[in-house]
Amino acid sequence: MFLRQYVPMAIAFVMGIIFALQYYVPHPASEKLLTTVNDWLIVVGGFSMVLGLASLMGSHWSKLRKGAPGWGYSLVVFVGIFGTLAVGIASRGKIFAGEGLVLTALGWVYENVLVSLQGTVFSLLAFFMASAAFRTFRARNLEAALLLIAAFLVMLGHVPLGEYIWDRLLGFLPPKADEVMGWIMNVPNMAAKRGILLGVGLGVIATSLKIIFGIERAYMGEGR
Amino acid sequence: MRKLVEKVLIMDRRVIYALMASVALLPLVIGPLGLPSKVSPEVKAVYERIESLPEGAPFLISMDFDPASKPELYPMAEALVRHAFRKNLRVIGMNLWITGSGMAERILSDVAEEYGKRYGEDYVYLGWAPGAANVILGLGQDLYKTFPRDYYGNLTSELPVLNGINTLRDIPFMVDLAAGDPGIETWVVYGKARSMAGGCTAVIAPGMYAFLNSGQLVGLIGGMRGAAEYEALLEKPGKATVGMDIQSTTHILILALILLSNIAFFATGRRGR
Repeated sequence: MFLRQYVPMAIAFVMGIIFALQYYVPHPASEKLLTTVNDWLIVVGGFSMVLGLASLMGSHWSKLRKGAPGWGYSLVVFVGIFGTLAVGIASRGKIFAGEGLVLTALGWVYENVLVSLQGTVFSLLAFFMASAAFRTFRARNLEAALLLIAAFLVMLGHVPLGEYIWDRLLGFLPPKADEVMGWIMNVPNMAAKRGILLGVGLGVIATSLKIIFGIERAYMGEGR
Repeated sequence: MRKLVEKVLIMDRRVIYALMASVALLPLVIGPLGLPSKVSPEVKAVYERIESLPEGAPFLISMDFDPASKPELYPMAEALVRHAFRKNLRVIGMNLWITGSGMAERILSDVAEEYGKRYGEDYVYLGWAPGAANVILGLGQDLYKTFPRDYYGNLTSELPVLNGINTLRDIPFMVDLAAGDPGIETWVVYGKARSMAGGCTAVIAPGMYAFLNSGQLVGLIGGMRGAAEYEALLEKPGKATVGMDIQSTTHILILALILLSNIAFFATGRRGR
């Protein structure tokens, strides 16, 4: 109880108060303190990669062992991790040249597997978005109609072909497609985003104070 | 007629996929549409800020994206680095997304080769470091402690390109190219560069206008459209200019589908259901 609860709470309280005040102290000692703690955080950040990898492997190993639905994907995770590792170790950092590329074996895997796969998965979004837009983007009420009109105008003003169509069909109107898009982005969109940012900022302050004073303890795994 | 409209409303998704694939391939079949992108004020502001920098000034570019955002941000990064090299600025590259470190290295080395720039003297690639916001905070304190070595393992303190640069405050202008978090917002909150601009995917661009209007960003390059505008300013069409044709045709198809779906929706009297 003492080590698992009171010590982390005390650390959060002391560090939270010190670094909330540190920002307002323009003294070299205060700057030095920030630099030192920041170095620690970068090192801790490095360890979090190891922790993340261990957690990923643990979760997929469990699925694989139980033969859970979709276990084949877990197998792909292991093949990917160990395959890439094996390529990196076996090639010993040797550089290969060809087709205008100068790469290590690991670089080759990156260029030809990771880049291609991530690009492919992301490009599928265009297909899903088209289908989803067709099925759901309907003016069912006033709010939906406003959103639909705004999205329609932004999409039209975003591409040269849209601007061309606007000029042909609505060229007699004083604003051009890009100007309409610019107004939507700079006025209603920005006002909404500002409101969200202010809300998020206040939420962050409130949550930070709750953590510092020990009211919010979810980060210690409480409530699970 | 009503039956036909009903059929439209329940159109098979595979038909939509086939239409999408067809219009995406259309510019490749019929050739470039040749429609110019009008340059927006927010993109022009980035271009003019780089133009205003004196020769030899340091310019930081943080390429915080991964291969998933390559079509939008890779040409943007290429155009910006190209502009910086053309202006003989000292280019400092880095990234906060580990899966993007290889691409960032490729962008810098390819464009440097194009302009005959030498590594360590004209440009440097710091690579990736863990910690995101802490890396930015660290750069605000001491660049050499945050990145003691560059991507290739050289000691950063021995690189002539970094002469006179100790913290972010010594960098007059930086651009962050982001596909999410950590990205522009992280740099705005934790960075201490004297001025900065952002470049991002079209999806997150609307969220960045608040920083643009407040003056925290001097300019914003949004999506492939922004990259194509930047290429137009450089008078060097690249991948973004070519990609805009495909984006044009696919956007128009989506708009046509939305229009069709709403016409069918109202024609069948489904409003309010």
